[in-house]
Amino acid sequence: MQSEKLIQSLLEQTRQIINQVEKLKTCDLQALTWKEDETSWNILECLEHLNLYGDFYLPQIESKIKNSNTKADGEFKGSLLGNYFAKSMLPKEKLNKMKTFKDKNPLNAKLDKMVIDKFLDQQNRLLELLNQSRKVSLNKVRIPTSISNLIRLNLGNTFQFFINHITRHLNQINRIQTAMKNG
Amino acid sequence: MKEIIDLSEKTLTLGRNEFLKVKGSIDTNVYYIESGTLRVFVLDEYEEQIIRFGYKENLIVSLDSFLTGKPSELFIQAIKKSVIKVITGHQIGRFLETETNRKLWTAVLENLVIQQMEREVDILTSSPKKRYERVLQRSPQLFQEIPNRHIANYLRMSAETLSRLKKS
Repeated sequence: MQSEKLIQSLLEQTRQIINQVEKLKTCDLQALTWKEDETSWNILECLEHLNLYGDFYLPQIESKIKNSNTKADGEFKGSLLGNYFAKSMLPKEKLNKMKTFKDKNPLNAKLDKMVIDKFLDQQNRLLELLNQSRKVSLNKVRIPTSISNLIRLNLGNTFQFFINHITRHLNQINRIQTAMKNG
Repeated sequence: MKEIIDLSEKTLTLGRNEFLKVKGSIDTNVYYIESGTLRVFVLDEYEEQIIRFGYKENLIVSLDSFLTGKPSELFIQAIKKSVIKVITGHQIGRFLETETNRKLWTAVLENLVIQQMEREVDILTSSPKKRYERVLQRSPQLFQEIPNRHIANYLRMSAETLSRLKKS
């Protein structure tokens, strides 16, 4: 895939993410903290979970772009592992539940609407990083994953993984809203 | 103008604060605002700077992207709920195959150049009071439709300064 095409599609996904979460701002706290049962997340917990990932990945991406002396490449290939990781995050038709790492689980944390602002700030940072990434190689710049410092993905796959993960949980938020209406 | 709007085959509805375009995207569409208001801004470090507004029955476009097909720095965001008709660059291209249409399009672009020049003089005017007066005279509509904090940003002054000028 052309690198610019990839960046364009990631920017577009991010735009849609921002728009979906902007709408949540108008919900009241009761709706934002409603949960189907004790062990599942409410909307704010979903967003906080994403914020925790953002806290990890955004600074990593930022510093790796800044300190890279690679050049932009026309084509983005992605690695076998990276493509697999990025794809595995995509929500499937039939719900494929996943385990959350303990340090990324905000269940029953005290959360308020600030979580939404933080999320939107992170999306703005993400837009900025997507723009900056044009100057470096999406194939060669490598970002450590939150799973292990030893497992690193190239920048292009990291962006895909990161954004697909957000999309995954925004779908979860849609399901929570549907369950709440029907409940 | 109607001829251009009629080219549109797609209508979008944006909620308050939703984005039509974000920084870095290539956007070769022209948008006609059926209802609502939008703002066009750039991010300067972390500071937003509003370049212009779009009102009901205006055309709005990332002209840089439209003309060059390259990524544009601009953000376009709905200030309130807005209904937008999308006219693609491709549709405009086909429209311009006819001589009379080209004349019409040139008139639209000329009008835009004039507006841009007015805006350029705005920005280069050093007195906040004069900047305010220029815009008030040119588009009183702006003060009816747009929240003060956005107008203040557009005029490059603090909200306090704007409210003082409005009273005097």
